[in-house]
Amino acid sequence: MLVTWKYRPRNTFIQRLDPRTRFILLACTIFALTIPDIWDYRILVPLFLFSLTQFLMARIEWKDIRRPLFFISFLVFFIVGLNGLLSGRGGPSTVDDPNSPILFQALIPGTTWGLTVTVSKLWFAMNQVIRILSMALPAILIPYTLDPNIYGTAFKRMGTSDKVSFTMDLAFRFLPTFARDLTITMDAQRARGYEIDKLKGGLIARIRRLAPLAIPVTMQSTVTGEEVIDAMDLRAFGTAPRTWLKELHYAPRDYAVIGVGIAIFITCCVLKWGFGIGGFFVPDFFTKALVG
Amino acid sequence: MNNNSTWQFGTREVVYGAIGAALYGALSWVTNFFPLPAAGNITFRPAVAVLIFFGVAYGPIVGLLAGFIGNTLGDMISGFGFYWNWSLGNGLMGMVPGLIMASITDFKARSQIIKAVGWGALGIAVGMLFASLTEMFTGGIDLSTALVGYFTPAFLGNLVVTAILLPILMIAFAGVAARRGR
Repeated sequence: MLVTWKYRPRNTFIQRLDPRTRFILLACTIFALTIPDIWDYRILVPLFLFSLTQFLMARIEWKDIRRPLFFISFLVFFIVGLNGLLSGRGGPSTVDDPNSPILFQALIPGTTWGLTVTVSKLWFAMNQVIRILSMALPAILIPYTLDPNIYGTAFKRMGTSDKVSFTMDLAFRFLPTFARDLTITMDAQRARGYEIDKLKGGLIARIRRLAPLAIPVTMQSTVTGEEVIDAMDLRAFGTAPRTWLKELHYAPRDYAVIGVGIAIFITCCVLKWGFGIGGFFVPDFFTKALVG
Repeated sequence: MNNNSTWQFGTREVVYGAIGAALYGALSWVTNFFPLPAAGNITFRPAVAVLIFFGVAYGPIVGLLAGFIGNTLGDMISGFGFYWNWSLGNGLMGMVPGLIMASITDFKARSQIIKAVGWGALGIAVGMLFASLTEMFTGGIDLSTALVGYFTPAFLGNLVVTAILLPILMIAFAGVAARRGR
């Protein structure tokens, strides 16, 4: 069982972008939807299509993306469903429009408590799914399309300190080693009769029985750490600004993509605060389609 | 073993921040293959105990870096993407218990273990509350959904794991540190 990165080199436009461009575009998409609090489907749908386009342009193989996509979709629908069941609030107050036609109602007898699904709440839930996916799709892409060796450099070039960037770089290098140590420890413990895949007993007993796996690796890593610190101190780590082997350079396409990201953010802010467009409302066609 | 000032950020913090992050990511990945049974959407991540241990043993900077980078790594190798608010929430979960680093002088002492678990619980509450509440802005969910759907399962699962594994980690660390004399 070896740890494998999800990243594969693919000759795609998305992967030719500078990593900083990817992070900036992701931030612009999130800020464009959250800071002006956009809930208007006329803005949400184009943004969702923009995110979906990025996702498709990355050309990730279905077998690779299937599991996380299923997990994230389940989480989104679970949370949106739970939100609807609990209150249907969370977004703008207009979602709770008392005049919105009721589609389904199940109240506890003798009370006003229960589940009430209105046209407004249903439309809000659909917008919520689109809104969350607009932000999640570009985020899902990152592990598949960004070289793990470039994260430290990318964060350094985005303004984090040498030490924070180097911590990130070092963590990426340590990960396969510790994953290997974990599998070796697991094999060694299995040879002594330890069965991690057949843990017996109650919940507490099961968690406690993970100790023979987690403790040796953690303790060994603390010992390894001392050796690494000595080696780095001997090389005068942290006494002067460091240089980075990998260089990042923006290409014209990066400026174009960053420009698009900033334009999206500014447009959403101007529409919402300048023209009052972007708030939640239920379009007539949706109401007519459901209740005539 | 524990003589650094709380907010110092030197070679030691860089290395243990990276080690904590890699361990957090690797353990999260391994336990994805052997998930513990859970109720509802509560998941138990034994790696959380390791994260809080790194905070307690090496300070808030190490806890913050290990949580932030470790969660990013774990999500990366699982293929789930990059979610800044959950990574930052995990960072806070490691940072808060790190605030008592200077007061933990004996990792075997019962009172200090209880104190570490208590601060670990506080860290879990702060970190998971931050991540859950920020979902209100990104997901448009209401407060009750953030608390019931995200915070409560994450808090309970992480608390159980920490209460069980953190004392074992601290006692084991006391032995290792005594042998090494540092």
